[in-house]
Amino acid sequence: MSAIVSPSPITKDALRALAQAQGLTLSEADLDRLLPLVQATRALLDELAAAPLDDVEPTALYHML
Amino acid sequence: MTDLAWASMGELARLVATKAVSPVEIVRTHLDRIAALDGTLKAYITVMGESALQAARAAEAAVMAGEARGALHGVPVGLKDLYCTKGVKTTGGSRILGDWVPAEDATVVTRLAAAGAIVLGKLNMHEFAYGPEGLNVHYGTTWNPWDRSTHRICGGSSSGSGAAVAAGLCPGALGSDTGGSIRIPSALCGLTGIKPTYGRVSRAGVLPLAWSLDHVGPMCRSAVDCALMLGAMAGYDPRDSSTSVLPVPDYAAALTGEIKGLRIGLLRRVFLETADAPQRQAVEQAVKTLEGLGASVREVSLEQMKYAAGVVAAMISAESYAYHETWLKTRGAEYGPDVRERLLVGAFVSGADYLKGQRVRRLIRDEVDRVLGGVDVLIAPTVPIAATPVGAREAVVNGAPQPVRPSLLRYTRPFNASGHPAASVPCGFTADGLPIGMQVLGRSFDEATVLRVADAYQRATDWHARRPPFAA
Repeated sequence: MSAIVSPSPITKDALRALAQAQGLTLSEADLDRLLPLVQATRALLDELAAAPLDDVEPTALYHML
Repeated sequence: MTDLAWASMGELARLVATKAVSPVEIVRTHLDRIAALDGTLKAYITVMGESALQAARAAEAAVMAGEARGALHGVPVGLKDLYCTKGVKTTGGSRILGDWVPAEDATVVTRLAAAGAIVLGKLNMHEFAYGPEGLNVHYGTTWNPWDRSTHRICGGSSSGSGAAVAAGLCPGALGSDTGGSIRIPSALCGLTGIKPTYGRVSRAGVLPLAWSLDHVGPMCRSAVDCALMLGAMAGYDPRDSSTSVLPVPDYAAALTGEIKGLRIGLLRRVFLETADAPQRQAVEQAVKTLEGLGASVREVSLEQMKYAAGVVAAMISAESYAYHETWLKTRGAEYGPDVRERLLVGAFVSGADYLKGQRVRRLIRDEVDRVLGGVDVLIAPTVPIAATPVGAREAVVNGAPQPVRPSLLRYTRPFNASGHPAASVPCGFTADGLPIGMQVLGRSFDEATVLRVADAYQRATDWHARRPPFAA
């Protein structure tokens, strides 16, 4: 059984590969500007791992009635 | 004689209904002010002078024939330029939609017209509502009317709504609020604005930023006027599946001025304790005023707030990217650089991230519900800082530099995640004469109590009645 490891900060190379996989054409300057924003957002998302979720289901958006 | 540019919406409606003033005169007064001041303020993207005068003449004829339409008959309003208006371009503050003319009105535009309101024009905003400063590279950044000499932000994204109402270029306006975009400019421009409960007001025909966080609401110069506008707009809409079937109370009738026995929960931890000194002192003084009116106050805390930034980041990034993906791939150069970069972040948020955010969001919402089980409203500052100069990236808070953008959002975005109603009410000024806002938060679908507290406070104070130097 493999252990859960903390995610590494995303790199410019990883960002480039992910962008290409999604059909986004980004210049090197784009990637340079985007990288700190993505890293900051990833850091915020990683903080959610500490939330006591247990059996908490996602908030529903749409009403059925 | 009443100064029509500064009369409340209720007073304007009364003057029209009693035939004391023609809607044509009211509309002309505001159009004249727009012509005189908006070259610098840049509050409007599109001024609808001709159609507004035409509507005013029709409103005048209706009154003379005894056929007034509703609570806002003959009263002008401004619309943030993300509300669809049939036959009138709706840009979203963008170049991408710079020439887009919708084929139908947003539901709230239809409802305001049914109440007799007259649309003066479409108001400036942060491009596609994605920014709390109210910057705009395409139409110019709106000037905060509270500082004549320095170009300061109005707050966003509803920056034009903030400047226009504060400067007397319309008596009330529609904003929209995804992370604070009604409350932040209301605070920085000295206005009263309310983000209603998610589902209280239809989002149909409103350009989305993030569907699950977007809220529609009014920005006015008093709680009374917010009650009038909200009452005209709220309620179930078959065009928006997230709207509630709960009946809409008479918000204006709820403003009794009476808050004796009301229980206030003061959010000191995370909120008040981190605000800059002028904001903290103003809110503390406002709470004392509310105590003096008969409310009881106790401190409460929201422990799950530490996750709010992550939750909103997951929602707003993924949802805004989903809406903009095609344009980002085909017309990316037409976005302003700051908005394009923020939108692109959503490409790197996974489905699992999004759903984890939605799960933590439930914790936040449940906790706010739980705390509001023991008190009637919560009080917090709206923003920890005052309006900063355009281009400033940092503000000094209690002696330490803080980044402007996250500071503006810190106290407001948790309640976009939770969906609870939240108003911003003027409660003082800094030594530089810049407005300070207090946030009043209530139980889901209890906008009436939020507005009652705001109105009671405004009966006891005059912060909301002051006029900015730019507009004098």
